[in-house]
Amino acid sequence: MGSGINMLTKPQAYLTKVFIQIFLRNKQYILLSLVLPIVILSIVGLNDGESDPIDIGLISNSKSNLSEKFIDQLTSNNLFNVIQGSEESLREDLINGNLMVVLIIPSDMNDQIKTTNIKLLVDKSQAQFVQTIQPVINQSLLSVERDITANVPMFNLVIEDVKSRSLSYIDFLLPGIMAFMLMNLSIAGSGFNVVEFRRRGILKRLFVTPIKPIDFVIAIVIARMVIVLGQLSAIFSFALIVLDANIVGNIFSLYLVIISGVIMFLTLGFSIGSLAKTQESVGILATIFIYPQLVLSGVFFPLETLPEYIQPFAELLPLSLVADGMRSIASDGMQLIDVYSNFIGIGVWILIGTLISTKLFVWKEVAG
Amino acid sequence: MTIIKASNLVKTYKDPDNSLKLFNAVDGISLSINSGEIYGILGPNGAGKTTTLEMLEGLKDIDNGSAFINSINVKDRPYEVKKIIGVQLQANEYFDNMTLSELLNLFSALYGLSNDPLELLKKVNLEDKANASANELSGGQKQRFSIACALVNNPLVLFLDEPTTGLDPQAKRSLWDLVLDLNKNGMTIVLTTHNMEEAQTLCQRIAIMDYGKIIAEDTPQNLILKHAPDKGREVIHGNMEDVFIALTGHGLRD
Repeated sequence: MGSGINMLTKPQAYLTKVFIQIFLRNKQYILLSLVLPIVILSIVGLNDGESDPIDIGLISNSKSNLSEKFIDQLTSNNLFNVIQGSEESLREDLINGNLMVVLIIPSDMNDQIKTTNIKLLVDKSQAQFVQTIQPVINQSLLSVERDITANVPMFNLVIEDVKSRSLSYIDFLLPGIMAFMLMNLSIAGSGFNVVEFRRRGILKRLFVTPIKPIDFVIAIVIARMVIVLGQLSAIFSFALIVLDANIVGNIFSLYLVIISGVIMFLTLGFSIGSLAKTQESVGILATIFIYPQLVLSGVFFPLETLPEYIQPFAELLPLSLVADGMRSIASDGMQLIDVYSNFIGIGVWILIGTLISTKLFVWKEVAG
Repeated sequence: MTIIKASNLVKTYKDPDNSLKLFNAVDGISLSINSGEIYGILGPNGAGKTTTLEMLEGLKDIDNGSAFINSINVKDRPYEVKKIIGVQLQANEYFDNMTLSELLNLFSALYGLSNDPLELLKKVNLEDKANASANELSGGQKQRFSIACALVNNPLVLFLDEPTTGLDPQAKRSLWDLVLDLNKNGMTIVLTTHNMEEAQTLCQRIAIMDYGKIIAEDTPQNLILKHAPDKGREVIHGNMEDVFIALTGHGLRD
């Protein structure tokens, strides 16, 4: 960084220093900017991908060996937390949403070989969820049945991760969350700042002096870069040290993606700042820019869950390009060359952002 | 010696009421200001005073005409002009979380210079506020501070845009003293105002602007003799306010 600062003119270096200084003095902002990502990561990280056992109710009207065996099987499955009780109280729990399903074992469930109907009480509004756990209950029933009938199962499904790495859910989520944070911090640091400086006449005051718009842009981009890299590094350290997350790929390659991502979002942030006339409209424009990407960029939900016709467009979104690039390196250990298409995409967005902000932002007449 | 020479300055904007129509906020203004002079531009709101100033300062494009400051063409070399002028804007907000000393250091650095901030603050009587932030200043202190900021490059010409608007009489007088003091040391000062007393007290020459044009230009004394000669009797004539009303009419402006 030292040699970088030396390449700047005195006004550029001083303005950069001032921008960083202003930020560092805003303790509340620093704290708040770190809270959200740390909270999200902690929730995911401390849980570490293991879902809580599902509470299911069980009413047993049978005292037979068979029913005992079935109940044992179900209780030993750590997917479930089995709660036994009377039909009346369990029904109420189901209605109140404390239980997902209630199983009723009929009194005629005994060792005789015949079909026994086990009633499953559900709340239909949870239909999708019930569909997921139904097979598990069926599976438990089947294994009890096999025990009794002494049948050997013909098929068994063995799941193997083809990428054969030891990654937890947080390792998968970390690059996405970092990419999302990188976007928020960069947009807030450029678009919002510029509109605010313009509104308060600070920008005009700066341009009374012989500095050029490019001096201002260089200073704010470097300052923001330093700040955002600092914020991201703090979050990374937290995830690596406290949450025991892993980064498989090369850390320098990862930071290269991050740096290009910050430049992209800063220029896009400047575009938003140029399009918006007031502080209110910059907020709305930023929301329009940020939130669809949250859903469409595969940060929290895989892109494959989106409708077919949206997927090709979703892949081209700025956040998708950065998140995918970061994930490919951090979780899949890919090389820079493998993510060249991401860099091309990011480059195109930087071009678009630069074009919009230089064409639309009236640098000369900053009075607005 | 002429230090500011402007010929037929024009600034065109879209009409805010009808975006298809254009109007000239500044409509062919010519100025010739001497070195060491305090020159006032007087006019009702919306007359084009600030726009004229900002064209001279290189902050707004000159749509037509030309302007030279110290023989430097503002249109061609705005950054060269900015190096030799000091500007106090109407709005004077600064970065939060910075002290006056730090702000003065910043503005000095933007000219590639280093200054002692305390020296500058002493000039404007704010040395005891060196570690305060700009938000903590009163209206008069803010104006004085923004003049301190305008002095970091020891300018040949100082532009002041309505420097005493909103100030109480004491703050106003203290600012006038400051302006006269700076001028005594040879600084050329161009100011806009709608305070007649101010124009009369400070300015050696005054231009009265309305609807983007200069409608009168002379010394305060001559303007009074010419446009408001018979308010009182014998020696006592009307004042600059009478001149102003006589020239621009009684109608209220926004």
